[in-house]
Order: sequence, then structure tokens, then C-alpha cells
Amino acid sequence: MPGNGDDQGDGRDADHTEGGGTAGPPDRLLAVRAGEGDEAAFEVLVRRHGPELLRLATRMLGSATEAEDAVQESFVSAWRSLPEFRGDAAFLTWMYRIVTNRCLNQLRSRRPVTHLDAVPERETPGHEGSPVRDAEAGAALRELSAALEGLSPEQRACWLLREMHGLSYEEIADTVGISPQAVRGRMFRARRALMEAMAAWR
Amino acid sequence: MAMNGHSGPPGTGGSPGNDPARSQDCPRDPDHAGDDDLLPCGRSLDDVWADHEGAPGEAPEGHPVDCVHCTAALADLRTLDDLVQRTRAEDENTPAPDASALASRVMDLVRLELRPGRSLPLGEAEEDHWIVETAAARALRDAAETVAGVRAGSCRVAPAAGSGVRAPVRVTIEVEAGARRALPELAEAVRSAVAGAADRAIGMRVSEVDVVVVDLFDETGEDPR
Repeated sequence: MPGNGDDQGDGRDADHTEGGGTAGPPDRLLAVRAGEGDEAAFEVLVRRHGPELLRLATRMLGSATEAEDAVQESFVSAWRSLPEFRGDAAFLTWMYRIVTNRCLNQLRSRRPVTHLDAVPERETPGHEGSPVRDAEAGAALRELSAALEGLSPEQRACWLLREMHGLSYEEIADTVGISPQAVRGRMFRARRALMEAMAAWR
Repeated sequence: MAMNGHSGPPGTGGSPGNDPARSQDCPRDPDHAGDDDLLPCGRSLDDVWADHEGAPGEAPEGHPVDCVHCTAALADLRTLDDLVQRTRAEDENTPAPDASALASRVMDLVRLELRPGRSLPLGEAEEDHWIVETAAARALRDAAETVAGVRAGSCRVAPAAGSGVRAPVRVTIEVEAGARRALPELAEAVRSAVAGAADRAIGMRVSEVDVVVVDLFDETGEDPR
């Protein structure tokens, strides 16, 4: 997993580094400091993991704007909860949980107004470049995103955490609050649905 | 396709109570084997996929190794895997979503909810200067990390128990230690650096500095965790 706080033992100078690379103190130390009120430590965590969490939320919600809001609210809620964060899970896994739950809640609240034949809301302004380049470089991505919209939010969460963010079944089970067996079941259905969706286009 | 929990993927049948989103059953559960999970050759899709993932499924005795149905199911799965790999590669080659504006907004909100901790006395007992705990802790962590092979985590600064609000404070600092030095020596170096910074850089009277080594890390290689 990127940005998981690996450090080559000379991280002390990186305390004040700007921006999000993987250099700097490991996540667990930053999380402890942030829990004790050190907002500078928290900012390092936000910059380090913001991009990864934005990717997850964008694919969950299908909207860059909504994803930014969801991740922003998740970080603020994490700041409030950090004094109770005991470090049983890695900070990033803990953030995956907060972001995933927020996205799921948002999607569930959308359901009643979503009709079977509704055209999914697609936000493209930020991604519109040369159509040709999009067609080549982003083809796999867009083909997959379209298929992902056919999954239930719960299936999509499991599938994204596993295939795009590399979490284990156990970590996903913790993240979404179901058993590893249930994660397995959702992964199975998600894959089958994705394969069928793509087969239909061939 | 709508984001609707009741719209199953095509071909899975929409039998009531079999909502794929809600059902927590497992395809390998004997109670649920069968129906649409079975390939025409009689093997379950789940078993074939398990083979693919390296966890051998339950191939029936004598099932042909080159069974066309199993092979087709695996080919479909590989197509999906391939798409996943390409998407992950695209992610790696595309600039990460710009999170700097997001980070600024988050920090603006966080600064409305700071937790500075208690005020601690600066200078002599009769003076009236103070420093908040988080600011003192940050300076003391920095001091601890001037010792080679030390990373600082928790740092608590509080008036010693039973003393007045302007009495000297007690510092409890947790560190992770690189494995190259003897721990007593390293802990003493941290204690001395922290006490020195409190006295000279901050101007805070300290009665005691407790150094707790909470973890060891390998300075030459990967983190233990």
C-alpha cells in the first residue's frame, strides 16, 4: 500500500516536509501525535493519504465533487475521533473504514430517488481532455467504471477495496463490518456481475 | 444501470429474498451451492475461481482438466483480471487526484476545533507566562528526535501530581528506537535532550522526564509494521 509510513530511519528531518510523499514519520507515530492535538502531524496524514482516499470515494460515488466532500468530512471526523484511536488498525485502514461508510450511507440515501432506467449522473468536466487520448489511455478505466455502476454499493465497496486498494478479505471485513465469508460472497457476485456486464458489450 | 440494490446483474435471476446486496450467504456454503453458480459441466463457478486464486477448489474426481466450461469461466475471469491490472496501471501512471485543495479545506476546519491541551507554566513560579501542552510537546518531540535513531510518538506534559499549577512539570515521552544502540544509553540521551530543550529552548521547569521505549525499528531496512 502506498504511503504506509515506511521510513528509512532518518525520518526526523522529514517532520516538517511539505506535501504528501511517503517520506517522513510512519503513520502510527503521526496518528499518536495528532491524537494528542498536534494538527501539523494530522496535516501530514491528510496530504499523504488524501489522493488514495479520493480515488476510492470517486469510484464509490461516481462523482468527483461528492467524493471530495465525503473525504473532507471523513478527515474532519477522524480528527475528532483520533484521541480514541488506539492504533489497533493501521491509520489508512481506519480511514478506509470511515470513507467507505460515509460513501455507503450517501449511496443508500440516494436509492429511493434512483430509478432503474435513470441515467447515472456522470461528472466529466475535470476529466475531459482530448477525446482520442481519453479513448486510449482511459479506456480500461472508463469501461470498468461503467460496469462498476451496475454493482450494489456494498459489492462495489468490497470489490474496490480488494482490487484497487489491495486490502485483504480480513481487512475488508473489518472495514465494512461484515464477516470475511460475507466479503467473499460479495466479491464473488461483484466479479460475476462485472464479467457479465463486460461480456454484454463484446 | 441504476445504483439500485435490487437490480441484480443480468442473468442472475431476481428471485425474491435473493438480493445479492443484502444476502450474507457464501457461495461455498453447501446450503447455497447450485442454482446459477453451477457451470454446465457441474462444477461451481466459485470452485473454478478458487483454483485460479491458488486455493484449490473441489474438482470432482475425474473431472477433465481441460473441461471447456471451466476453461471458458477462467478465460472470463482473466479478462476481468486483465482489465483490473490495466486500470491499476493507469492509476499509477495518472497523476494522483490533487488533494492539496482538499487538505487545505480539511485543515481550515480542523483549526476551528483544535485541542491545545492544558496551559503549562513557563519561567519561574512567580511569573505569569504559559505554554499550551501541544506546543510544548511538539518542541520536546523534536528535541528527542535530535538523538540518532529515535522517533517520538506520544509526549505528555503535566504538572507533577499533587503539586501546584506553577510547579515544575513532568514529561512522559514515548519513543521508537533504532536497534543500533544500547537502549539504556539511548533512553538517557533522549532524557537529556528533552530536559535540555525544556530548560533552554522553552524555558519550562521540569521535575522529571520519563522515557518509554515502545517499539524497536530496524534502521537499515523496513519498518517492523
